[in-house]
Amino acid sequence: MYRFVGFTGLPAIFLKFAVLAVIDIVGGLAISSAFAAGSYVLGGALLGALLFINWVYIFRAPTPAKFLAPGLVFLLAFVVVPIVYTVAMSGFKFQTGNVITKSDAIEQVIARGVSEDASGTAFDITLGRGADGQFEALMLSQIDGTASRATLAGVTPLAEGEYGVNEWGVPNSAAGFTPLTSDELSQLGDEILSIRFPVGDGSFVGIQFAELAVLLTQDLTYDAQRDVLVSASTGAEYVDNGDGNFVNAADPQDVLTPGWRDVNFPDNFIKLVTDKSLRDPFVQVFVWTVLFAFLSVLTTFAVGLLLAVALDQRIKGRAIYRSILILPYAIPSFMSILVWRGMFNREFGVINRVLIDLGIISENIGWFDETFTARMVVIIVNLWLGFPYMYLISSGALQAIPGELKEAAAIDGATAWQAFRQVTLPLLLQILSPLLIASFAFNFNNFNIIYLLTGGGPREAIAGERAGGTDILISYAYQTAISNPTSRDFGLASAVSMFMFVIVAGLSLWSLRRTKSLQEF
Amino acid sequence: MKTFRRNLWRHSVAWILILFTVFPIYVVIVSSISTTGGLVTNSLFPKNVGWDNFTVLFNNPSIPFTSWIRNTLIAASVTAVVSVLIGAAAAYAFSRLRFTGRKVGIQALLLIQVFPSFLALAAIYVIMGEIYEVFPAFGLGSMGGLILVYLGGAMGINAWLLKGFIDSIPEELDQSARVDGASPMQVYWLIFFPLAAPVLAVVALLSFIGTFNEFILASVFLTDPESRTLAVGLQQFVGGQFTENWGPFAAGSLIASIPLVAIFLSVQKYIVGGLTAGSVKG
Repeated sequence: MYRFVGFTGLPAIFLKFAVLAVIDIVGGLAISSAFAAGSYVLGGALLGALLFINWVYIFRAPTPAKFLAPGLVFLLAFVVVPIVYTVAMSGFKFQTGNVITKSDAIEQVIARGVSEDASGTAFDITLGRGADGQFEALMLSQIDGTASRATLAGVTPLAEGEYGVNEWGVPNSAAGFTPLTSDELSQLGDEILSIRFPVGDGSFVGIQFAELAVLLTQDLTYDAQRDVLVSASTGAEYVDNGDGNFVNAADPQDVLTPGWRDVNFPDNFIKLVTDKSLRDPFVQVFVWTVLFAFLSVLTTFAVGLLLAVALDQRIKGRAIYRSILILPYAIPSFMSILVWRGMFNREFGVINRVLIDLGIISENIGWFDETFTARMVVIIVNLWLGFPYMYLISSGALQAIPGELKEAAAIDGATAWQAFRQVTLPLLLQILSPLLIASFAFNFNNFNIIYLLTGGGPREAIAGERAGGTDILISYAYQTAISNPTSRDFGLASAVSMFMFVIVAGLSLWSLRRTKSLQEF
Repeated sequence: MKTFRRNLWRHSVAWILILFTVFPIYVVIVSSISTTGGLVTNSLFPKNVGWDNFTVLFNNPSIPFTSWIRNTLIAASVTAVVSVLIGAAAAYAFSRLRFTGRKVGIQALLLIQVFPSFLALAAIYVIMGEIYEVFPAFGLGSMGGLILVYLGGAMGINAWLLKGFIDSIPEELDQSARVDGASPMQVYWLIFFPLAAPVLAVVALLSFIGTFNEFILASVFLTDPESRTLAVGLQQFVGGQFTENWGPFAAGSLIASIPLVAIFLSVQKYIVGGLTAGSVKG
């Protein structure tokens, strides 16, 4: 009996701890900077991951944990958490104008809730710092041409001779005043907009940009106890409308922006079902999604199977045929889709050109302009992309069907077609059904082909910007959540995603039950 | 002659599909070597053969084609290598080790696998935005962040692909090593890993191709032209001006596809085996 020889003992242990040490150092730095930046969720998550890794590899955790730990960390962070987050978001009003937290929203509403004084007093200013390093401004009133000096303590008039002016007559020097350089200004950026020089009567001088300030009064104030915003000028009270915004209690149309993301479960789901402008496109998109996935599987499988049967015999040139015919599977699909898109181009596409040359059509067809032709193109291109895969799996399955079965059928007097219909095909479908269902699920979420080929268009066909004639659920969700920055609706998109979760998960579970492949576990 | 006639329909089917298959490939080749400038997408035969479309890719500063290739290669190779390491370890655990939660675990993995990670796109977008606030190198807009998200899906897909293969390696090999005093980790690294190396390479290749093709996450993540991947770069490049940029686009597609197609064809036997292994067990 020999001892097991390998990378063991001290060097192995040393290597293990060296790797762990590096992970811990990098992770520790990351955690401390996350906490320093105030991102406690992120810091906490990292800390949890780091503790988990250390527990697994230092303290004799069960062996399977050692094998699964790295994958689990990534899986949790970038798949499970996003899924949970999606579920949570679907219960929120979370859209353009309602993306920040309530406290941030109140802060911004107050910052915007200022009003100019009646005469619209404005100042040309030079922004700088005083002797104490605090912000100060030298100002020239545009109304009466008087000069004054604004500090965080208040505004005092400047007498003639106390200041120097620049070429436009704006005061730019005074005792103890240092103007900000343009470098400093660009570094400060928007920070200068929050500077407020108090005037004394409740109003203040607010900076508009580096050379201009206006006299403002704080109009809206927040009453934390009653959770209302009160306008000093009109006396109106703005109350939380329970839907992510403060609205005027007397006039619900008077909404303060921005709003915040607010729990509104189950409004997003109800909207999908009841709001006609959302429901109709959603239903149409859903029907087309199912049709598209079904037709894609049907056409690719039919052609792939036909090819598999045709090449099931050792005919001459089979190897070359095979190598050419699986090319669509090997070429990066995003490229082939873009190429097809160019070929179907109305004016310059080669397809219209060939059809005209052959005399089949007399003028260019706008393939992507009509829903029907656009959908046809999608199916044709998906056939090109997908039949090689179906061919490969069908020919694999054909070889797995014992030849005796066909011979037995032939002896019983069946024609080749009958033998195929009644013996081979049912067996084939049985073997391949999990893969066909997987293919259906894949096409159900086949974002690439829709987005790259038609962009979901024609756009006007169903509901303009949001849903086009060839949009499937996933491209519709993308359109809703991401693509248009002025009307993003994460909440609604998440609700649509949830809907897709349920369908795809249901399909997969059903196919898991149906196949025996899991019984061996 | 007689056999040929009997097999005529087989050849006909093959030839019709070959025409269908080759048509767009032919169009791309013709377009890439035609130098008539703009409106060449509708020509069936090359006009003014030349290499202009290829040279413009590498000399036009508004088309950072070489950066796109570099970015794609980085994203795809890092993802392929790390995800195979992760997936192989997980697959080994699910295939060889007995532990509670194993069956539930592999079923959950399968379920998660059928959720493309971009279904949770909006959530990932927001989460990566948070990460960006603290670690710009791994947040929104960074290659590091994109790779992290890709790795999230690594365990599901690869573990599932590899498990079938590991099941087919006789367990006696492991057991004899265990008898000789090897720990499970040693069995994994010293017995299993060398045995599985060729299959791991194929799975890595599939993962490479998958990342190469990935579009939606990359397009949401990478907004800066220099940092784009080939898929996003070429799409944006050809998107608006199909007619003007068609020639260089065709040339770029050719350059990017040829190495992939060559690798794919050379290992097609293994890939086909991997595809059917799961289903054709009977």
